[in-house]
Order: sequence, then C-alpha cells, then structure tokens
Amino acid sequence: MKRKLTKILSGTLAAVLLAGCGAAFDEGSATTGTTAAASSGAGTEAAAGSETTPAADQGSKSPAGNIIRIPEADEFPTVDCQKDSAYYVVPLNIYDRLIECETVDGQATLVPGLAESWDVSEDGLVYTFHLRDDVTFHNGEKLEADDVVYTIDRMMNPETQAVNTDFFSMIKGAMDRFDGKADSVEGVKALDEHTVEITLDAPFAPFLANLATPSCSIYNREATEAAGDKFGIDPELTIGTGPFKMKDWVLNDKITLVKNDDYFKGAPSLDGVELIQVPDEQTQKLMYENGELDIVDLSSFISQLDFFLENDQYKDNIVRGTEAGTYFYLFNQTMAPMEDVRVRKAVQMAIDRQTILEQLYRGEGVVVNSFIPDGFAGSYEAAEIPYDPEGAKALLAEAGYADGCDIELYQKTDDSDAMALNQVVQSMLEQVGFHVTIKQMDEAAYTASRKEGEIGMQRAVWWADYNDPDNFLYTFFSAKNTKVRSTNHANQKVFDLLDAGRTETDNEKRMEMYKEIDTALVQEDAAFVPLFQMNHIVVVQDWVEGFSIPWNGWTDASYYNVSVKQ
Amino acid sequence: MIKYVTKRILITIPILIGVVYLIFVMLSVVPGDPITVMMGEKVKPDVIENLMERMHLNDPWYVRFVWYIRDALRGDFGESYKLHRSVSSVIANAFPKTLMLAVTAACFSWIIGIPAGILSAVKKNSIIDRLFMGFALCGVSVPAFSVGMLLQNLFNGILPVSGFSSPRHLILPAVVLGWGAAGTIARLTRSSLLEVLEEDYIRTARAKGLMPLRVIVTHALQNSLLPVITMMAIQVSSLLSGAVITETLFSIPGIGRLTVDAINTRDMPLLQGTVIFTTAIIILGNLVADILYSVVDPRIRVEGGK
Amino acid sequence: MEANRTKEELLERGGKKPVREKAVSEGISITEAGNGETGRRPRRLADVAVPAFDRRAAVKAMEEAVLSRKEEDDSFLAVCKRMFRNNKVAAASAVILVIYVLMILFANVIAPYDPAVVNLMERLQPPSMAHICGTDELGRDIFSRILYGGRVSLLVGLVPTSISMVIGIIMGLLSGYIRGLDALIMRLADIVLAFPSIVLAMVVMYTLGASTFNIFIALSIIGWAGTARIVRSQTLSLREMGFVEAARSMGVSRTKIMARHILPNCLPSLIVLFTLNIPDAILSESNLSFLGVGAQPPDTSWGLMVSQAKGFAISSPWMMIFPSLAILIMVLSLNFLGDGLRDEIDPHLKK
Repeated sequence: MKRKLTKILSGTLAAVLLAGCGAAFDEGSATTGTTAAASSGAGTEAAAGSETTPAADQGSKSPAGNIIRIPEADEFPTVDCQKDSAYYVVPLNIYDRLIECETVDGQATLVPGLAESWDVSEDGLVYTFHLRDDVTFHNGEKLEADDVVYTIDRMMNPETQAVNTDFFSMIKGAMDRFDGKADSVEGVKALDEHTVEITLDAPFAPFLANLATPSCSIYNREATEAAGDKFGIDPELTIGTGPFKMKDWVLNDKITLVKNDDYFKGAPSLDGVELIQVPDEQTQKLMYENGELDIVDLSSFISQLDFFLENDQYKDNIVRGTEAGTYFYLFNQTMAPMEDVRVRKAVQMAIDRQTILEQLYRGEGVVVNSFIPDGFAGSYEAAEIPYDPEGAKALLAEAGYADGCDIELYQKTDDSDAMALNQVVQSMLEQVGFHVTIKQMDEAAYTASRKEGEIGMQRAVWWADYNDPDNFLYTFFSAKNTKVRSTNHANQKVFDLLDAGRTETDNEKRMEMYKEIDTALVQEDAAFVPLFQMNHIVVVQDWVEGFSIPWNGWTDASYYNVSVKQ
Repeated sequence: MIKYVTKRILITIPILIGVVYLIFVMLSVVPGDPITVMMGEKVKPDVIENLMERMHLNDPWYVRFVWYIRDALRGDFGESYKLHRSVSSVIANAFPKTLMLAVTAACFSWIIGIPAGILSAVKKNSIIDRLFMGFALCGVSVPAFSVGMLLQNLFNGILPVSGFSSPRHLILPAVVLGWGAAGTIARLTRSSLLEVLEEDYIRTARAKGLMPLRVIVTHALQNSLLPVITMMAIQVSSLLSGAVITETLFSIPGIGRLTVDAINTRDMPLLQGTVIFTTAIIILGNLVADILYSVVDPRIRVEGGK
Repeated sequence: MEANRTKEELLERGGKKPVREKAVSEGISITEAGNGETGRRPRRLADVAVPAFDRRAAVKAMEEAVLSRKEEDDSFLAVCKRMFRNNKVAAASAVILVIYVLMILFANVIAPYDPAVVNLMERLQPPSMAHICGTDELGRDIFSRILYGGRVSLLVGLVPTSISMVIGIIMGLLSGYIRGLDALIMRLADIVLAFPSIVLAMVVMYTLGASTFNIFIALSIIGWAGTARIVRSQTLSLREMGFVEAARSMGVSRTKIMARHILPNCLPSLIVLFTLNIPDAILSESNLSFLGVGAQPPDTSWGLMVSQAKGFAISSPWMMIFPSLAILIMVLSLNFLGDGLRDEIDPHLKK
C-alpha cells in the first residue's frame, strides 16, 4: 500500500512538474508576443529621455481603443450617491443633476442641467424648476417631475439609510420624513409633468449650488424602486440619465462604463470608461509608463511628483488646475496647551509655509491666509500670517512655556501625505520649543475620536462640495460642528454669524459676513493655521484630449468631454 | 479511518467558533464604528446614530456574537457594511483569484524547489549546493514586499505589474509569493534526500555500480518526497498569509486584500467572513496533510484514533 | 533497579540529559503526536527555513527535529565552542551580529546625523561622502536612520520573542505535564495557529492602536503557540522517563519537577528556537509596517524604511536597498547562527 501510494504520488508530482514546465514555456512565448505589442503601444521605456523619438509619436495612439482607463485606489461601497459620500466618479458620469456646476471663463458657474430654467420666490423660500422634456433614462423611461419628487423622498426616507440627507434637509418637511413623522416630504411637489416646486423651511442661500452636488443626482422612480437594495450595486439595475451607463462591476478589480448613445446632450465621444482598482501608487506610475492607464491623478501621492515633473518625456503631459480646497491645521482648544490663544498664534508663526510649499510640494500651489480659497465665492484679500520663529518663542514664553511644551499631531495611519507634512512641521515646531509627537490612528478610530472632539492638532483638507463659503466655515466652526470636528472652538459671535449667513438673501452682505467670520477665526482666535491651496496635478497620456480639471479640483470628474486620438 | 477523519473534522468546529469569538472580543473594544468610516469626511451625527440603530451596532458584542453564530450555522454570514453585498458573495467572488494565485505560487515553488533540492543533495557541499541554499535563504530573509517592489521595477513593461485580467498577470505575484515556499521546499527536499541516500539499500544500489542519477530517480526520490508532499498541504497556511501582502502590492482582488480592507474599514461581517473562511481552509489543509500521512502510514491512524 | 537508588542519585541523573524514549502520543492530530514510534523519519531543524509566514510548517518540523534529538549534549557553552571550531559560517555570523548590535547600541555615537531632523534642502540625495547611504524624501540621513531604526528592529526581534517564549514554555509545560489543562491549552494554541499570522497581528494592532510598543504585544500573541507545542511534546516524552517518575514517587512537587527536571532538558532546543524566532519577528514587523500598522514615526524600523521607500524604488533606489540589506544581513546571520547551534546540539544530522 505504502509503496504503491508513494509511486502514485511521485508520478503525479512528475506530471505536475512537466505540466509546469510546459506552462512556463507557454507563458514565455506569450510574454514575448505581448511585450512587443505593449512597447509599440506605449511609446516604450527605451525612449525615455528623448521627447520626439518616432516611438513617442507612435505612442500617441491609445493602445486600448476608444476608451479611457482611470486608476482608483479604493473600492466603492456603492455608486448610489445617496448612500455614499466619498466616491463620486461613477455618479458624475452616469447620473445628472437638476443644475450643474461648470467652469465658465475661469469661474465656477451654475448652469442648467436636467432643469432648463428655474424661478426663485422673493422671500427665497420657493424654488420652481422647469425640466427638459427630451431626457430619457438608460432604461428608456422619460424624465418626469415625479422622478425628482421620488429622488428627494428616497433620500429622506429612513428606510433608504441614506448618508447624504444633509443636502435636502433644509426642504420643508424633510426632517419630519426622515424622523418617520411623515410619509412624504411636504415641500416637494410636481406641478405638472415637467415642473417641480420645492419649498424650504427657511431661506438657504447656497441651495442652488447645493443641488449641483453629485449627491443630488436624479433617479428614475420605476427603475430604482424595482432595483431595491441592488440599486448602486448591480450594474444592470443602476439606472441614470448620464452620458455613460454602467456595464460591469468586478469587485475590487474593475468597473466598466459604456457610452449612452441617447444622452440628451449628444452621445459622448468615448466608447467607454474603465475604472481600475490600483491601490498602490508606485504601481499606478508603472502602469502609466506602460500605457495601461490614461489619466493618473498625482495629487494624492507626492512621492511620484518629482518623477513626473522632472521627466522630459512626461512633463508636457501634465495638466494643472487649482483646487477649490484648503490645507490647514486645526487646533483642539480643549486640549492643553491649545486652549491658550498665544500658543496657537505661536504655532501659526512657527511654520514656514513658503519653504514647505516650495520644497515638499515643489511650489505647486499658493500659501493662503484664509479658509476660503482664492477665486472662490467669498474669497478676499486676507492679512498675511508672518513666519516669525522669534516672535513665536516670545509668545510661548509669555504664555508660560519658556521651556517649551508638549503637543501632539494627530493623523490617520497610512496617510503618507499627512505624514510627510507632519514630520516637516514637527521639526519646525521643535525649533521654537515645542516637543512634538506624531500620533497615528487607523481611520475608524480616528473618525470616531474626532466625532467625540478628542483629536488634537490635525492636518485637515477641505474641498468644496458647492461653491459657497458656508460649505467651508459652517462645516468646521458652527455651534453644531465644532465638537464633531474636534476644534472645540467656542466663539458665540462666529456661531451667530454662521447661522445668520445661511438665511441672509443679500449676497453682498453675506460675503461681508463670511469675511468677518474668517478674519475672526484666523487673526483673532487663531483657531486654525491656513496652509495652502494646492494645484491639482494630473498626468494624461498623449492620446487623451479634452481633459480638464473640474471646477472644484476634484479627482472625480465627468469624462463626457474627453476623447481619445485613434 | 472514517472515525479518525470524523473526529478531526469535529475538532475544527470549536476552533472556528474560538476564532470568531476572538475576533469579536478584540474588535468590540476598539473605538470607531463602520458607519463613520463608510461616510468618510462628511459626518452627520444623527444620521450615524440612526444607522447604528438599524444595523444593531448599539447592541453589546455578546448579543451580536450569539446572533452571528446562529446565522452562520444557517449559512448566512451577514452583509458587508462597506460593500453592501452579502459576505458570502463577496468571498465567493474573491476566493478563486486567491486560489489561482496560491496554486500558481505553489507550482512555482515545487518547480523551483524540488529540482534545486535534488541538485543540492546530489552535489552536497558543492558550489551549486551553497548557491542554491543561499538563494533559498535570501528569499526568506528579506520582506516579501521588497522583493515584490524590486521585481515590479525590473519587469515593468515586460510583465503586467498590477491587476488580474490574464494569466500573465499572475506571474510576478506568484513568483514573489512562491519564493519563500520554494526555499522551504528546496531545503526539505535536500535534507530528506540526503537522509535516504545514507540508507543501506541505496548504498547497496550504488555499490552495485548503478548510475547515481538512476539511483536517485528510482529509489531515493520516492521515499524522500513524502515529507515534501506533507509540507505542501501545510503550505496552504503560509500561502494564504503571504497573499495578504502580495495581493495588496499587485492589486489582486483576492481574499487577502479583502481582509486588509475589512480591517481598515472596521467591516466586521466581512472580516469575520474572510477570517473564518481562511482559517477553515488552513485547517482543511492540515487535515489533508494528516490524512495523507495516515494513509501512507497506518500506525498514525491507530494512535490518533485512541 | 532505579527504585532502590537514593533520591540524590536519581535527581542527579535527572539533571543530566535523558535517553530518548518513545514519545507518548495521545494527541489527536499527528501534528501533536510525538514521532517516536510513528515510523516517520526524523527531520532536521535545517528544514525550518523560518519564513515569516510559515509558522505552522516551522513548528511542525521543529517538533519532530527536537524529538529526534539524541543524548550527547553538553553545556551550552561547550556547544558554542564546538560550533566556533567546526562551523566557519556560523562563527562569522556570530561575529557580524556582535558588531551589528554594538553599532546599533552606540548609534548616538556613530550616527553622523540626527535621524529625525528634516532637511528639505537635501531631499533624495544619492549616496555620497556626506551621506554614505544617501538621504530620504525629507532629507534625512539614511545611514543614521538605519542605525537608529535598528534599535526598534532589534527590540522587535528580542522582546516579543522573549515574551512569547516565556508564555510558550509555561503553557507547554502545563499542557504536557498536567493532563487536565492539556486539551484546553492545545485548543487555544490551535486557534492561534489557525489564523494566518499576519492577519491576527493586524487585528491585534488595530485593536490596541498602532504603536511600537503594541507590536511587541501583537507578535507575542501570535508567537507563543508554536513554542508551547514544542515544549509540550518534549514534556510528554520526558514525563514518562525514569528520573521524572522517581522524583514524582518521592513526592517532589509538580512545580519543582517541571522547573528542575523537565525545563533544563528542553533548554538547548529552546535556545535554537530563540535564534530562529528573532528573524521571524523582524520580518513580521516589516510586513506590518508595509500594511501601515508597524513601527510608528518618528520612530523608525528597517521594515518601515523599506515600505516608505515604496514610491521611490526607481528614482531613488538607495532608499529601499540599504534598509533591505540591513534586514537581509541580520536575518541571514541569525539563521546561520541558529543552524550552526542546532547542528552542534543535534549532531546525528550533521555528518
């Protein structure tokens, strides 16, 4: 028995070995074949260094046909944008909003989307939207006013378990619906097949801008109800009106979008978009070099910036745009020693922001002195925060910390971008007498502690959801949010002004109010350290045309206007 | 025999429950909730509270534990918090990829490991022996991800460095994953072959003037490969562990990356699902190893059955 | 007749090395059973290639190798002497390790720069006279960082290995000697061993929070089970030996028997296990660092340095190469040293 089995096993093994060798040879030949293909398509790595070699010219044709391939670092939970607030690339391409925000002549502007026009009542409470009559969903259904009513009701329906209810919560009766006190949202009415009337609880100035966010995408009642839980999960059942349709979704691997020939603005030039999961930055770079990716966003990984900006072959492929967002450090004013405004001011003055920008970020951005980014609604000429280490030392001494004091910088684990900045800031702060520890927490623990108001000094970034200063300031410094953002900044004047700003209908007056809030926060309270407004840097292949950074500088963008040289 | 196998299988059940229990206890003391992670930066407290209530996240962990075991016995492993899909379907989707990667890596490790081991044993203490054994040791003496990064850079443009859409995509990750195992197998083959070569019947065969190669193939190899074969079953554990790193580095949508993601997002149902599944596979691997051995050598079965 | 001897005589004998006897196997799995009479060929420790993930395989091979040990051991010192005489590679490894440890201990004297000071003007400098291993993306001197990072890596090698071995020894002794605890402890060990080690370590790190100190705890938790099983199988065979039975019949307490008679007999193989477990821990820490839950800045470890070099592998290869080399040399030396020690302790395998 034993001998026999041994023989069998050895025999099997030999077979496996042989088969393995065979397979290895097969792989070998296959490899050479495709290598040749890949190099001719991608412009070959041998051509690196010389810009105008024939290989590079040859490379200006996409090897993948009339599609673009975009890397994504994380898998999306769902593409139902009522249930997710982090990943908008699919929603931006498969759905439309009543109103869209686009860059027109360098200015972020609200333009008609599914609604061709709208009226606002005198008191700022009633909005009437006139919908286009030529819009069809991917399933062939016509867009009707009822779909808008349904969309808003679905968001506020507690059964939906939506996470983006904030975007509609100012509508009259919306919170009653959410709390289960009503069966529908009182303030939304379909006046006729193509007219929707929305009534607000109180005037809310940013309401139109708010409707242009991806979360306010319009769904089809019939298809969405039929899909149930599978909406946003099952590509077949996820129906929108957008320029692309969902075709396939292989979890943790790839999402495939194909063009919607019946798109109401005309079919897109691309046949499709592939969103490929590539969590590793270095791998993204390698794949770009291979011609396996068409558009790579460099902003989230500064480690690759040097390579692309200095590489002669690629530096012309870089597309820049300004981010509608600010980098800053937040203080937690309930954690010692940050309760002392002098210490906070000392930190403001001890950070050499210009040097950091130039050395760490290669000067790709500007130093800011306000929360509201430049060129954005409500931005103003803010007073400069000086870099003054001696002054910082003096302030610290005045606060009673002549021998220095301990502070902690909090960040999420694995956030290499924050880590690099924190380490630089750490060494700068140590020069004026702080003893700095960098404290890392994993994402779940970090967000949970932050919600409890227990995160200390933290680097934060805020990109605009909609073009309004309210979106920046209210999120961090309103009475409601100051704890959950771990700032614990308690300034009644700021609280009052932020609430007043929401209901003020005179735009000029509003912007004055935000200027006042921002100045108070930066100059008087030193509630945060404004750092930079960064350039958004994206590298695209030679063959990609028509790509531009969206108005808000997001990575997530609509690819409707992009085309590929064939 | 059947009794022995049944007993071995029954023992895995308390171990699996222990694994789930351990995960539950550990994750229940951690601050942080999946909803906050799911929602990203735009947090709104009342929405979170509402969702926590709905998902029974406010219940104490032991209540959830009992529910979980009850559902799991019915084959329902819950729904992933983050991916909004049933855990079983997510795992069913990911496992074939990990399996293919592991099998390719295992094949690689045998193809490299066994011949290298034989050669080293035959040319004992020669340059070849030293070189092979040194190489085998190097493979396990640096972190797998640094080998992976190196290979990615060396082979960029020649082989795909990311993703999982063709057999060619498997080559680099399988090499990275299989290298350590190849070293283990080479060393094992070498030493067990060396022992067999010392045995009397081989000496006799040699004395009879048979060619060394023939002796090895006809006599020695059969006997010396047994421990190697057992090792292959045990390899399952190391391959699945290694897959965590390899899949992350090479963007392979398998179980390993799923596990890392689940930990990062505090996705309890998914984490439990992947850990239970991986653990079950590892236990199964050991079971197979044991049964294989007991088939070869009935004395173990007698002992084990006691 | 042993029973007629005096207590002293018997205990004396117990202090020396026992003759190997048939392993008592009552385990359910062959991975637990001793191999005395099972007909399996004893395997050498050399088979244990100590890959970071391969704990189970390593444990299994160790168990068998340890059980196949023959009598002829001398004191540990004598073993070391023999090794230095016979095995040049192991001797060289020992010397390298000593130099290594000294360099790391005196890092504050040797290191040319402060490892934490950021100098943005000198980012990503290739190796030169000023920075012999170059600088990283924040302009810090890599050589200095390797020296200081070595402290963390060395601690990560030593501390959790020691803790896990102490736990493992106690658990193994209890499990092997006290029947009532055996099943419980071994099932516990089974649970730990059933996890993919890296996943268990990650879960522990997430539970406790990422910090250098918590790495010790995480690696101790995953490490003890292997040791426990080896000690248990040895205890099982030793407890049936004449000198232990005699001690027992003379009313020597259980604790004393375990501490005085059984443990000393396990020691040589435990020392080997210790040398082989350290590289395992160092590599595990590297993997944790790669997944973002290893050593935490501003602390650094070699593993962290390699994983931080991720984005710079082509443009600034020195960032990855030097810390990798540091790991490679350390792990290889420890492996060679462990192999050398084992060969001396387990000489029938050598020839």
